[in-house]
Amino acid sequence: MKLPRAQVAVLKTADANEYRAITDVATEADLQSETATGAAFALAEEGLVTVTEETDESITLTEEGEQYVAEGLPERRLYDAALAAGADDDPVDLGTLIGDAGLDGDAVDIALANFARKGYGTVDSGEVAADPDAGSKPDAERVALEAISEGEGVADALAAVLGDDSQTDAEGVLDQLERRGLGDRTESTIRRVQLTDDAVTALMEGVEAAEEVDQLTPDMLTSGEWRDAEFAEYNVEAEAEEITPGTEHVLRQTANRVKDVLVGMGFQEMQGPHADAQFWINDCLFMPQDHPARTHWDQFALSEPDQIDDLPDDVVERVRKAHLEGVGEDGEGYHSPWELDVAKSLDLRGHTTSLSARYLSGYQEGELDPPERYFSVEKVYRNDTLDPTHLLEFFQIEGWVMAEDLSVRDLMGTFTEFYEQFGIEDIEFKPHYNPYTEPSFELFGTHPETGELVEVGNSGIFRQEMLDPLGVNVDVMAWGLSLERLLMLMYGFEDIRDVHGTLCDLQLLRDVEVVY
Amino acid sequence: MPVVDVDPDELRELTGHDEKSDDDLRADLFDLGIEFEGWSEDDEMQLEFAPDRLDRLSVEGIARSLRYHYGDDRGVYVPSTNSPEWTLVAEQTPEERPYITGAVVRGLDFDEDSLESLIQIQEKLHATMGRQRAKGAIGVHDLTMLKGEAGRDSTGKSIRYTAVDPDEETFVPLDSDEEMTPREVTERHHMGADYAGLVADMDRYPAIYDEIGLFSFPPVINGRRTEVSEDSRDLLIEMTGTDQWTIDHMCNILCYSLSARGAQIERVTVEYAEDAPGEHAGRTLDRPDFSTKTKTVSHERIESIVGVGFDEETVIDFAERSGLDAERTEIGDDELAYEVEIPPYRVDVLHPLDVIDDIGRAYGFNALEPEYPDVSTVGGRHERSRLEDAARDALVGLGFEDLLNFHMINEEENFERLGIEPGDDVVGGGRPVTIAQPYSEAYTILRTWALPSLMMVLENNTHRAYPQHLAEIGLAAELDESENTGIAEHRTVGAVLAEAEVSYEDARARLQALAGAFGKGLETPPTEHPAFIPGRTAVVVLDGETAGMIGEVHPEVIVEHDLEVPVAAFELRLDALR
Repeated sequence: MKLPRAQVAVLKTADANEYRAITDVATEADLQSETATGAAFALAEEGLVTVTEETDESITLTEEGEQYVAEGLPERRLYDAALAAGADDDPVDLGTLIGDAGLDGDAVDIALANFARKGYGTVDSGEVAADPDAGSKPDAERVALEAISEGEGVADALAAVLGDDSQTDAEGVLDQLERRGLGDRTESTIRRVQLTDDAVTALMEGVEAAEEVDQLTPDMLTSGEWRDAEFAEYNVEAEAEEITPGTEHVLRQTANRVKDVLVGMGFQEMQGPHADAQFWINDCLFMPQDHPARTHWDQFALSEPDQIDDLPDDVVERVRKAHLEGVGEDGEGYHSPWELDVAKSLDLRGHTTSLSARYLSGYQEGELDPPERYFSVEKVYRNDTLDPTHLLEFFQIEGWVMAEDLSVRDLMGTFTEFYEQFGIEDIEFKPHYNPYTEPSFELFGTHPETGELVEVGNSGIFRQEMLDPLGVNVDVMAWGLSLERLLMLMYGFEDIRDVHGTLCDLQLLRDVEVVY
Repeated sequence: MPVVDVDPDELRELTGHDEKSDDDLRADLFDLGIEFEGWSEDDEMQLEFAPDRLDRLSVEGIARSLRYHYGDDRGVYVPSTNSPEWTLVAEQTPEERPYITGAVVRGLDFDEDSLESLIQIQEKLHATMGRQRAKGAIGVHDLTMLKGEAGRDSTGKSIRYTAVDPDEETFVPLDSDEEMTPREVTERHHMGADYAGLVADMDRYPAIYDEIGLFSFPPVINGRRTEVSEDSRDLLIEMTGTDQWTIDHMCNILCYSLSARGAQIERVTVEYAEDAPGEHAGRTLDRPDFSTKTKTVSHERIESIVGVGFDEETVIDFAERSGLDAERTEIGDDELAYEVEIPPYRVDVLHPLDVIDDIGRAYGFNALEPEYPDVSTVGGRHERSRLEDAARDALVGLGFEDLLNFHMINEEENFERLGIEPGDDVVGGGRPVTIAQPYSEAYTILRTWALPSLMMVLENNTHRAYPQHLAEIGLAAELDESENTGIAEHRTVGAVLAEAEVSYEDARARLQALAGAFGKGLETPPTEHPAFIPGRTAVVVLDGETAGMIGEVHPEVIVEHDLEVPVAAFELRLDALR
């Protein structure tokens, strides 16, 4: 019979008449204990050995436990010192006894706590009274510690020193040692192996080891040696070493998914400056210069540099006029001051609608020829409070459609289609107000997991006061949405700071499951 | 967004709908775009709405909107007003605050709630249209405590808006027993000090006088003499500000609210002296001005915006249910249109489109069937964004964990902790774009390079398993006078390799692969950089152009970031891979 080398070794080392521990077999056969165990189970499958299992509990002493074996238990030392000082007759000052017993630091508290527990006496108002009878027998915990230290059975040792009835209490003493942090109990499985009659027969007939190979090598392949090789079995169930794969950031993945969807819906991508003139960020959006929103949004103003060099004069003049006089025959403007200096001042953009303004004006990429669809998924900046759902920088999904005679129904149809791609259905439209759109709608969607109604965006049809000065004479409908909001809906993140920014948790990013 | 506290019982009383439960009211308000935010400590509903309909800043205004919503009221309503008896004279007024308006209100029967409502609407108007009183400030006075100066015609009574030396005049302000000068009020009166900033730059302070003396110090505080109480029956309202239209409309909104409480509005004459500053010098105005305005709205435009067909009667009906009046007219070549009349409390209607929004809301936007627009366009990604993605894919293929850090950082992280200074002629040494009033000390500039962000991530993740091979493609910016914005923004590619055994060669191998993937020839001539170990630092040159740098991070920088493993790194401009 040919068997793998390890199995042959186990077979030859095991006994037909008694169960031997596999660890002993392994040592004798010069095998790794795991290899011997694996071989034994393989042999058992073949009916050549039987394997038994039992659970063994062992206890080892901690450093503190070792120390008490050498020095004695603190409470016993206190008791001995108390007896020596005559505290069995009259109470003796605690301080003196601590000195006599040579206790210090934590040992004092340990001594006092256990002194009382074991009924060695009482401590009252700093004086110690000792019970002379309590210490007549050796301390059971001490006996157990010594037994463990000597490698003897605790129960036997207790019985020998304290009499038979103490044997039943060995478990309690061990629990106490563990509670005191003097010993650590561990459980292990002991497997034993014994040869079957079939094995004895096989051994008599002769068993040899097959040629075993650990690693398949290029040499073996070219020489043809592999044909005669027996491949060592691996533990194919074992966990391998962890590797960290290269991964795209989960928020980028989400951004790219959004981009894919929008490109599929016919949208072209925009880009433009992160730091921009308030003109493009606010004035083109028909936000009066003293509008509370300009401060409510708390956009980051720049101190250096603080002004844009140049704005297109004709657009500036038309925007200024729209603010002051309105647009159309019976249009009205705002009753607010309008200063070129304010328009020229630089901010980090609080929304990417600044890009839309640049594109619509033709300033960014030249005149547009409707119909057009444009989008961007880019960062915006708000001077806000950082909390689990708000960042100072986040991504805004911006999109708009430019065509003749767009209606609120077109707007609704576009969003319904877009959000359905992300599993967000039943979009609801709540009439809203924005300075730059009319009508305006907040969009609410139902969370796919929780069923909760959450705000997913803001939208509307751009006002004439925004479009006319930019030279646009068809309708434009637009919307904006936080990418992080979409991410949190899709992945269920609770604190966005774990994901985005230098406080990110690499493990969290490594553990993100793929969403497709 | 504005929030007003409204007692639901008062709302039921003012709308005349006792049968409405709190829940009914909440649902009806939601239909108007007014959201219930919760209950106040005094068991009032906290209602939030968008800042366009400022005529809803009081329980009376909200009740009016509900009555239209219920169909109890229709069309434009303008309360009747009595002829003026009082005159507000504006004479030698401060140039910084030239305008005044006002009204007399008679026959009030205040109780605790209605007086509180009056106080609330003033606060809300100050916070919104009044721009924290800078643009418009309201003073409400008990008329019986005023003694009119002899008017210019002998029958009238007048008060006078003027400017005073802040140290010369005294009066007893609200909530005080002490005679103070206006300057003293701004310095030590607990309410006055809040608004001191509004007059700080003025040589002479705004002041309003009657025959007895100074009784109001707008926009800071009123005098105690004319304080309104539950016993007050007749009021004088004055509003001063920097814009006549704004204070006139704040006054309209306030007068409509008081009128809804059963008061009679009496007009006043506003008389600007010949030499008064501002655009009304020498003119006499009759206020409050309750005249309506009209917008011409095209029928076709209504249909094209809302996306459904309407007949003429329906449009007129919807307008009336919105508190407007609409009358058929024609524009151009017999095109159907409406002359729509807008009441004087509406401050949000600038353009015919705003009327269309009202009509759409009356129809119910949520009743519309969504429809995908029949418009064909071709989609596509921007070249820069495709390049960025291709580079990111290459880095991920090389085993990097892609990161996404903030573009904002502070000077210490960006420069000091990497051993460099703004203006140094090294990668990362550009002069930074600086934020004027940062919320947080951690974010005061835009980063000039990505390595500091990556080092911070390493620093915050020393408890996580190594190797940590991190990369980021993101924005970096620096001052550049040749740009229109004065800022050169670019995408930077940063990468770090942190683990127990890592060297320059590991970074070079990956950089080589990245350059190779984009068909770029790579050279790395030696250089020096304070953040890197001398002799293990090189310039990244792609196809002969300097693109960035590569090296082993200096132990000083590593230790500074509390790391216990070596770090090799490279950083280059994304556009160099183009």
